[in-house]
Amino acid sequence: MTTCDRAEALRDYAFDELAAGERREMERHLTACTDCAAELDQLRLTTAALRILPDREIPQRIAFVSDKIFEPSPAARFFRSGFFSSAWAGFASAAIMAVALLFTAFHRPAEIRTVVQTASAADVNRRIDAAVATAVADAVRQVRAEDAKTAKETLAAAELRYEREHRFLLASMEQNMEVLQKRLGTFTSLASLDVPQIASQNGAGQ
Amino acid sequence: MIFRAVEDADLIARVRKGDVEAFNHLVSRWEKRVYNYLLRLTSNPEDSLDLSQDVFLKAYQNIRKLDDAARFGPWLFRIAHNEAFSLFRKRKPEADTDDPASAEREPAPGASPELTLSVNAALNRLTPEQREAVVLKVYQGFKFDEMSEILGCPVSTIKSRLYTALDLMKTELAPATPQARQRGIR
Repeated sequence: MTTCDRAEALRDYAFDELAAGERREMERHLTACTDCAAELDQLRLTTAALRILPDREIPQRIAFVSDKIFEPSPAARFFRSGFFSSAWAGFASAAIMAVALLFTAFHRPAEIRTVVQTASAADVNRRIDAAVATAVADAVRQVRAEDAKTAKETLAAAELRYEREHRFLLASMEQNMEVLQKRLGTFTSLASLDVPQIASQNGAGQ
Repeated sequence: MIFRAVEDADLIARVRKGDVEAFNHLVSRWEKRVYNYLLRLTSNPEDSLDLSQDVFLKAYQNIRKLDDAARFGPWLFRIAHNEAFSLFRKRKPEADTDDPASAEREPAPGASPELTLSVNAALNRLTPEQREAVVLKVYQGFKFDEMSEILGCPVSTIKSRLYTALDLMKTELAPATPQARQRGIR
């Protein structure tokens, strides 16, 4: 093996892996460096020895037969064509996501807020007392209103009954007065008649 | 009328449209290279043929995933590499009982039996990774960046494997070649 510091470049040169400029430079170097020239010689002999083994012919040709059963359907070809590839699917999902984000940004529903309030025990008691007092006052007011209504209805009913009774009494008195006036009229007319006539009438009657 | 050589990219475009015959054309262009790559890795003709068929089947099934049609070669060999090493992992427990050089012991036509044996022995002394680097560079002629794509490792690692392998082999093979003998006579 060469001890020259350009050993790797020499091997790259042997396998035609150097750029044109480096290649020319290596060719100049090889005219001066006997180590590298010997190394190159040995590399070429080694590869030449390896190439003595020729390629073999393949014992059996490989061929594929088109079978309608196994051929992809037009739909399968369409799906494989790239329109539904992973890249397209990713792009489509990103687009849908973007539309959804824009929609929610401009059509935001009314917010439901949950407010948690803190209060002291005294506050709570005061609020309870106030609520109880309000409830009691409402109840009293309601009871009083009901009592007043009941009293009013009872009074109205009593007045109505009294009026009816009064009218009935008046009607009765009127009737009695008429009867009395009739009787008085009768007595008056009898009193104006003669006593004999009365007696004769009585005697004739017997 | 203008004639233009049909490129792999043209065939790949037709395969993507469902043209199986275009894929068969593509297979006929690459099957020998893939088979020989696998044969030099596995040293077994039957395994190499089976693996070659699997490689082309996977290539057909996944050809839509190939981003750059101009990189079909490295992409195909990447599949072949994965298939070969998948087989190695499955068979690892019985690796000691196998005779890896059995397929390559027949002398190559035009080469002396002793040189063929020397080359096979030298290759078989390498680790699978070193041997694969030699196969891809010396026999398949891939560039380092293509090898990096095939093997999924940095160029520096590939160079290290290749140059270590060559250092191991050159003491054995360089004097054995006809050129070396001629140099020795001189």
